[in-house]
Amino acid sequence: MHKSFGSNTDWVACLLMWGIGSVILGIFSLVVGDVVWHGLAGVSWEFLSTAPRDAGRAGGIIPILISTGLLLSICLVVAIPIGLGAAIFLAECTSEHHAFGRVVRISLDVLTAVPSIVFGLFGYAFFSHMLGMGFSLVSGGLTLACMVLPILIRATEEGFRTVPNEYRLGAAALGLSRMTTLMTLLLPAAMPGLMVGVILGTGRAMAETAALIYTSGYVDRMPESLMDSGRALSLHIFDLSMNVPGGNANAYASAVVLIGLLLVMNTLASWVAGHWLKRRMFWA
Amino acid sequence: MIMLSWPYHTLACFLFLLMMGCESSDRMQNSAKLVITGSSTLAPLVADIGKRFESIHTGVRIDVQTGGSSRGLADVRQGLADIGMMSRPLHATEQDVMSRPIARDGISMIVHQSNPVQALRNEQIIKLYTGKIHNWKEVGGEDAPITVINKAEGRGTLLLFLTYFQLQNIHIRAHVVVGDNEQGIKTVAGNPHSIAYVSIGTAEFDANHGVPIKLLPIRDIPASLDNLQNGTFPLSRSLLFVTNFTSTTLAKDFINFVQSAAVYDLIAQHYFVPISS
Repeated sequence: MHKSFGSNTDWVACLLMWGIGSVILGIFSLVVGDVVWHGLAGVSWEFLSTAPRDAGRAGGIIPILISTGLLLSICLVVAIPIGLGAAIFLAECTSEHHAFGRVVRISLDVLTAVPSIVFGLFGYAFFSHMLGMGFSLVSGGLTLACMVLPILIRATEEGFRTVPNEYRLGAAALGLSRMTTLMTLLLPAAMPGLMVGVILGTGRAMAETAALIYTSGYVDRMPESLMDSGRALSLHIFDLSMNVPGGNANAYASAVVLIGLLLVMNTLASWVAGHWLKRRMFWA
Repeated sequence: MIMLSWPYHTLACFLFLLMMGCESSDRMQNSAKLVITGSSTLAPLVADIGKRFESIHTGVRIDVQTGGSSRGLADVRQGLADIGMMSRPLHATEQDVMSRPIARDGISMIVHQSNPVQALRNEQIIKLYTGKIHNWKEVGGEDAPITVINKAEGRGTLLLFLTYFQLQNIHIRAHVVVGDNEQGIKTVAGNPHSIAYVSIGTAEFDANHGVPIKLLPIRDIPASLDNLQNGTFPLSRSLLFVTNFTSTTLAKDFINFVQSAAVYDLIAQHYFVPISS
């Protein structure tokens, strides 16, 4: 680092980089600070454990937290096995230049860039209407899974590709089957990639409103089954701030809870990935 | 393989939960459920009325979904919803459904509190929205460019505004397009030189709670819930329920309940006016 202070231009470049870093930190602090400043006072045990009243202006968010949890569970339960399978196919079963693999990869990249409202309308037409799921947590969770899949697959595939080829050759030299190699060697080594995908996907799913307003819906009652409609936390925040006069205080409090949840889940996911990687590699 | 067993366990648990969920949904079908979708203006009110209806009738569930008046109509036509909520009247081509009024609402022009303009004539509003007036000084305000805020396509408030001022949406020169009422109010509160139109109830509530906006009169009649109730405020609309011609008894019961005096307090709490008063 000290070497770069040698000439004047280096100084300028260094200052610029620090400036950019500070701007990023500033934006982050401003957004989180604003939400926490306005919302922290509203977060209490009562807020977290009671149902909303008076269109959400009073009361808490417990049914909304449960609905959000169920939506996310459905989404991940469906997306992770499919995502992992697709990533194994792309990284291990086809070469980078294989025609079919390339087509799949291009479609995934296109899907990543599709706005979430399009997924919402697809879910509304396909899951809610055509498959007759109505406005339900299942319909919303499956829509989220479609949305999260491309991110998950691409990140996991990247995870597999970063595993050095020597691992595969070494395993083959020892006479291990491809399945054993995959399970004991490649999968744990690609775990961080999968976890990155899960974290990004979870983030996208938790922040989603547009795709859910048409699928899992707006009902703020405690869900009794997965076929019930349930309101996601981000949709609750959107409705309170944009549609309910006098809903700002609880919108801010809910936003604090959402940010808190995201931080906890990200920390947990990276801890699990690190932990797993260490133990698996040691054991293998 | 020892370490791999734990995600499989978790997966099995999830699948079990999923199956439990589906099973209990089969049982749920014995109890009655009413799906209501549509206007976001009406959704919070109808959700609250639904909760009161559920507390009187055990075993009944009222599911309220939002997304705009046009979605309410589309869902009723496709059979996705039992009742559609609409904050605009039905067009001539939309007479394949039955409509019942449930409450009244009006829209008000709003500007920032610091704006010295106290009133606008209807012609001035039309010129402002069609891009013929660009500066507040042309209508007695300070020398500043006007930010025109319009509602998105499919919104009930947009249609009422266009009908009342006999405008077409393609002639409107808007700088900002918003969806819900609170969004319009927040945009005006954050931009001292802007003008928008929103639901009177929402605007009155926010103005009384310290949001820096000002409601402008229409034809010298102040925009207020009182003037909406006594019928003198010109820019007003009926909020509707639409159903198919063959609706269930439960749907009919609920509509009767919404039109009864038992929910007047809820309608007032949401800053609308009951229909029969």
